[in-house]
Amino acid sequence: MAAASGSGGPTPGVDRLIHEPARLAIMTNLYVVESANATYLLRQTGLTWGNLGSHLSKLEDAGYARITKGFKGKQPETTVSLTPLGRTALVEYRQRLMATLDRIAE
Amino acid sequence: MTGPMDLKLLERDAFRRFYEDGLMDVFFGLMLVTMSVGVVLTDWLENEAAGTIGMLGISVVLVTLLIAARRRLLRARLGEFRPGPERRRKITATRLVLVGSVLVGVVAFAVAAIAYAGEVPLASIDVLLPLLWFINAVVVMGAMAFYLDVPRFAFYGIVFGIAMPLLVWPDVLWGISVPVWIAFGVPGAVIVIIGLSMFRRFLQRYPPLPSGEDLLDGGR
Repeated sequence: MAAASGSGGPTPGVDRLIHEPARLAIMTNLYVVESANATYLLRQTGLTWGNLGSHLSKLEDAGYARITKGFKGKQPETTVSLTPLGRTALVEYRQRLMATLDRIAE
Repeated sequence: MTGPMDLKLLERDAFRRFYEDGLMDVFFGLMLVTMSVGVVLTDWLENEAAGTIGMLGISVVLVTLLIAARRRLLRARLGEFRPGPERRRKITATRLVLVGSVLVGVVAFAVAAIAYAGEVPLASIDVLLPLLWFINAVVVMGAMAFYLDVPRFAFYGIVFGIAMPLLVWPDVLWGISVPVWIAFGVPGAVIVIIGLSMFRRFLQRYPPLPSGEDLLDGGR
């Protein structure tokens, strides 16, 4: 499970693993579909293959993403989906970030 | 990532992108052109069954080519995804509307066959069937536009819908003969041109992505 920032930080309680822009882009794009292949994520996020792989493995290690390796014909195919934990984490991230932004507004 | 985190908009735009290739548009246009070819074939062969079979044969080839081309093109340039539950419900609704449309078509064909056998006054059929055609086209393409979030399909529905009344009604009501290439061929060609220009733009906007599945393991 990813660490949240400390209570005295600028974004208290916000999941730092998701807070990184590239991972947030990956997670939001996965949230609105059931699953997607790596090419789809590459196009949607504009990341490079290496960056995408690095961020995906962090999300997988945190239990937020499920990565399945396989073949489509003779081509290797990587399919990614959010786990229930990842979906919940993104919803919580959004709520906490909104709450933080509300406090800043005040 | 820029802009507000609007998940519905994100999903809609991602899904809609898969219809920016213009190939569906080319297909719709060619279907209209094929219908005019079917009429020309019928006149040329002096056999309605042969004309209809020829038209259906061309349609089957078009559908096969469309599916193969889209699969190959979109997979390499946009990737693939399995939609979420809400989008899957919309796709199912679209399929149901398409099935309903085919059933309406079969009933219309049967009614026309009975009419031409002399059971129903031909004049009323020549007025009613084009009207049914119009409603069917507008409803089906309108449903596709709505459920698939591709508004231009509604415009194609109107173009499709108008073609048959434009061919039949002037002749029945005023004795004016409209050539089939004007009623079906010209609108079809216009849609094909729209599709081809979209296809060209799609190829420029979304070049094939470099293969690099092996690089995904680099982060481990």
